[in-house]
Amino acid sequence: MNISYNWLRELTGVGLKPRALAERLTMLGLAVDGVHERGDDFLLEIDLTSNRPDCLSHLGVAREVAVEHGGALRMPAAVPSKMEGRAGDFTAVEIEDEDLCPRYAGRVVRGVQIGPSPEWLVKRLEVIGQRAINNVADITNYVMHEMGQPLHAFDLQKLSEHRIVVRRARSGERLRTLDGVDRELQTQMLVIADASRAVALAGIMGGEETEISNETRDVLIESAYFDPSSVRRTARALGLHTEASYRFERGTDYEGVLRAQERAVALICELAGGAATEDAIDVYPRKIEPQRVSLRPSRVEALTGLRVETSEMRRILSALGFIERAQPQTFEPEPSLRDGVLEMMPAGLHTTLSFTSPTWRVDIEREEDLVEEVARHAGYDGIAALLPPTASAGEYQPREIKKRALRRQLTAFGYDEAINFSFIESTSGERLDPIPKFATLIDADAEEDERAFVTLTNPIIEGMTRMRPTLLQGLLQSVRRNFNHGTRNVRLFETGIVFAARKGEGELPFEREALALVATGGAVEEGRAGDARELDFYDLKGAVEAAVDAMGLPALSFAPVSARHLRVGQAAVIMTGGQTEIGTIGRLSEEISAEFKFRQPVYVAELDLAALLEQKETPALYTPLSRFPSVVRDLSLLTNRRTSLSEMLAAIRELELENLSSAQLVDVYEGANLPEGKRSVTLRLEYRAEDRTLRDEEADEMHTRVVQKLAEKFGAEQRV
Amino acid sequence: MPEGASLGDPKLKAESARKAFEQEFERFARFRAGVSAESGLTLNSAEALERELSELRTRHTGKKSELASVKKLIGRVAPEERASFGQLVQQIEAEITRGVEEAEAALLAFINDARRERERIDVTLPGRRPRRGHIHPVTLVRERIEDIFVSLGYIVEDDREIETDFYNFTALNIPENHPARDPLDTFYTTTGLALRSQTSTVQIHAMQRRGVPVRMIAPGRVFRRDTPDATHNPMFFQVEGLCVDRGITMAHLKGTITEFVHRMFGPETRTRFRPSYFPFTEPSAEVDYSCFKCGGRGCRICKGSGWIELGGSGMVHPNVLSAVGVDAEEFTGFAFGLGIDRMCGLMYSLDDIRLLFENDVRFLEQFN
Ligand SMILES: [Zn+2]
Repeated sequence: MNISYNWLRELTGVGLKPRALAERLTMLGLAVDGVHERGDDFLLEIDLTSNRPDCLSHLGVAREVAVEHGGALRMPAAVPSKMEGRAGDFTAVEIEDEDLCPRYAGRVVRGVQIGPSPEWLVKRLEVIGQRAINNVADITNYVMHEMGQPLHAFDLQKLSEHRIVVRRARSGERLRTLDGVDRELQTQMLVIADASRAVALAGIMGGEETEISNETRDVLIESAYFDPSSVRRTARALGLHTEASYRFERGTDYEGVLRAQERAVALICELAGGAATEDAIDVYPRKIEPQRVSLRPSRVEALTGLRVETSEMRRILSALGFIERAQPQTFEPEPSLRDGVLEMMPAGLHTTLSFTSPTWRVDIEREEDLVEEVARHAGYDGIAALLPPTASAGEYQPREIKKRALRRQLTAFGYDEAINFSFIESTSGERLDPIPKFATLIDADAEEDERAFVTLTNPIIEGMTRMRPTLLQGLLQSVRRNFNHGTRNVRLFETGIVFAARKGEGELPFEREALALVATGGAVEEGRAGDARELDFYDLKGAVEAAVDAMGLPALSFAPVSARHLRVGQAAVIMTGGQTEIGTIGRLSEEISAEFKFRQPVYVAELDLAALLEQKETPALYTPLSRFPSVVRDLSLLTNRRTSLSEMLAAIRELELENLSSAQLVDVYEGANLPEGKRSVTLRLEYRAEDRTLRDEEADEMHTRVVQKLAEKFGAEQRV
Repeated sequence: MPEGASLGDPKLKAESARKAFEQEFERFARFRAGVSAESGLTLNSAEALERELSELRTRHTGKKSELASVKKLIGRVAPEERASFGQLVQQIEAEITRGVEEAEAALLAFINDARRERERIDVTLPGRRPRRGHIHPVTLVRERIEDIFVSLGYIVEDDREIETDFYNFTALNIPENHPARDPLDTFYTTTGLALRSQTSTVQIHAMQRRGVPVRMIAPGRVFRRDTPDATHNPMFFQVEGLCVDRGITMAHLKGTITEFVHRMFGPETRTRFRPSYFPFTEPSAEVDYSCFKCGGRGCRICKGSGWIELGGSGMVHPNVLSAVGVDAEEFTGFAFGLGIDRMCGLMYSLDDIRLLFENDVRFLEQFN
């Protein structure tokens, strides 16, 4: 809302300097965003909240400024200099759809001379950024900015039968509006019509055919109150937003209709000549009752902590236009029990003030609204700053501590935390297998409409209609973006919600917190001492394992798997408790790499973080340190390349050797000097008895069984 | 030859042993005073010399040396000559030892220096370590906010991102025709659900779950249909705060926000509360804090006003309390909603907040 400083000062007589005034308005809730010098005037830009359409005018803002001085305003004169005839002699007004138009007033000025406006008027409009057109149009615009009531001037002679009908548009009806656009109307739209056709879009814009022109002699000035939601719907449907619709859809003063009309008619007589009718045709079939609202003065302090005298509350509200309805009613206070102590309210506070709300205040509904009115004008600055009395202890989200450990561990491993939008392109992410929880819902082989994607109807970025079923789509795009900027070493992780629809009608979609990682490029930071090495599967796996470890959760297990988005032979399913699948890890498949134009290996992992965090923490329990030495035997085996380490270790566990205290990998070797399809695996086996020193022969006996077992089960040959 | 040539034989032999040593030692003698830089020695040649020198010593003082055999001749020396013969032999032995040791010490010093030089490293090379990753700036700010409020006795809550009309609007007193419900402003799914447009939704869930009194904050993702530009994203992060109890007033709101701002931005930061409007609070207040860059004098960051908007706040609207079955006469409360990305943008002076969700490593690397 643009306000002219000089104009405001005329209305209020308040002599504050522009910046001081801006400060005052801001602290009253009318935030002034800018003060700009405009010739001998200043423009104040006010960022109004949507509940205060009454301040979409100089008068409205002036009311706020004037409260401090009792609310007195210098209202401009509004008596036409020349009056003759009754409005009914020249026109007629009929409201067919009073649900959308509760009030419509028409008044006529005859014999006007259309021409340019005087300089003062042009200048005043210019200060607030309005362009002058002609005297009559400028006056309607001026009065709207002065009093907040949008007005419209018709060329009376162009109205068929010189009369007005307010009704819904007829089916197929068209109207060429003032902006030159020929519009097809819909039947729920309210129009102003004459005897034969629509001549204006009610509350939004007039029609070209009945517009004021230089030849116009008689004008009909419309001042009305339209149903706010009707104006909003029509303006939105047509994509036509005007100063008038802006005010009507927020709510105008239904009792200010005649006052504004009279002011405009008086100005027309003064500036364009002509004679006004003595009255207006005011069709107002059902009087709108103003809001009644009451205030218990004690509520002001109870809600704001401000101590304001009841007399001061009355003064503020009265200056704002609230009318006190009767003498305050005293009520018997109900004693209240607080902390076991009977509390009586102080005398004089157990009263209720009741008010009739000013008709321009569409935002006032209840007591709390009055509390705010009082507090605004008493000044928020006077509210003390106190901490609430101590109550309970604070608490993080149950999983936050673990997630912090996760983030710290992954960053220690060189992963940057990423955050992507929750929506992705409508066709993307389909070939990335989702977390197991969603696997049956978003089955890539199912038909499009069978798949449970969550889809947006109104994306803001073209095509971004799908709520992400996987975090990987966003991360892979982030990798692409980094490659485009010449960064080839990228390690990212993200935690966030992934989505899948539920099949049932009206059911809320699944929301599941996931963790995803992506890694590509060198394993060692470039430009440092040390040898370069490319990242591989085990780097990513190590990061996942370390993160789980840092969260104090049981170790994950991994098994070969085939996943749509992972390269055959370098893909694993991730499991908790040795069997519950919670995600996948591996090297991105050739197809998807090609899709993203990746020319270097990219490793990805995605886990159901919620499922991961549901697990019980591994308790830290002390195990006594053995007092007896162990016997360590290394075992080098030539095995089939497809025999996995975990299969071999499982086979060893099957032997249930009581004194085998650990079996672990030392080294895997694959080289040209080994037979095709074979690899060499070296294991370290540690034998130990809890209660004595193990003899070599005992260890040898167990070791032999291990060798035999591996030979029987996998054909593994011991290498010497 | 002196007199007593009959006894002179052993003495001559001793002298000849001395001569033999001196001859061989001649090429080492120059090192006795130290190996100079001009010596032209390399590490390898010095090591060779040092080996030869130790062999030379063995040859001239060892059990099989000439001097050792001279010592054995003492029996042939006349008794009165024995003392002087003994002295002579000792003197020769001492000369040899001293000469060799001095040259050896010098050579070893040279060798040690040369070895250390060979193993000299460039201590200015960057240390060997894995690359460190970085936590996202939004998370850093969020963690700090959580820490502050947890220490003030708040519980951290969260809930769904896709919400029903009830939680996103109705329970928050956002009327049927309010612009916030418009599909121009709020994202909707094909099944008519909304992407939450404020974390105030969590107020409702939390009060339903926990009842009142309650003190909670809810940081999280929210969605509004803003076209991305330097100051807007269609997705951003917000923290909602709620404190409902008996006797809570705006003074507590003011005190809490002021305390938060002091801890977040420093104790010299001032706050300003000015009337505003939100459907879910009444009375409502917009919170500003004095610009941390200019201290309130006015600069580019605060657009000359000296104040930066922190977020919206106010006393929980009675309709919100009754939506969750709380008696608004008995309980009052305050709520606030602060923009995390916005704080983040201001704290780190971001000129384009779209960077927050592009995950450019060059950007992410800048935060700690
Ligand atoms: Zn500043």
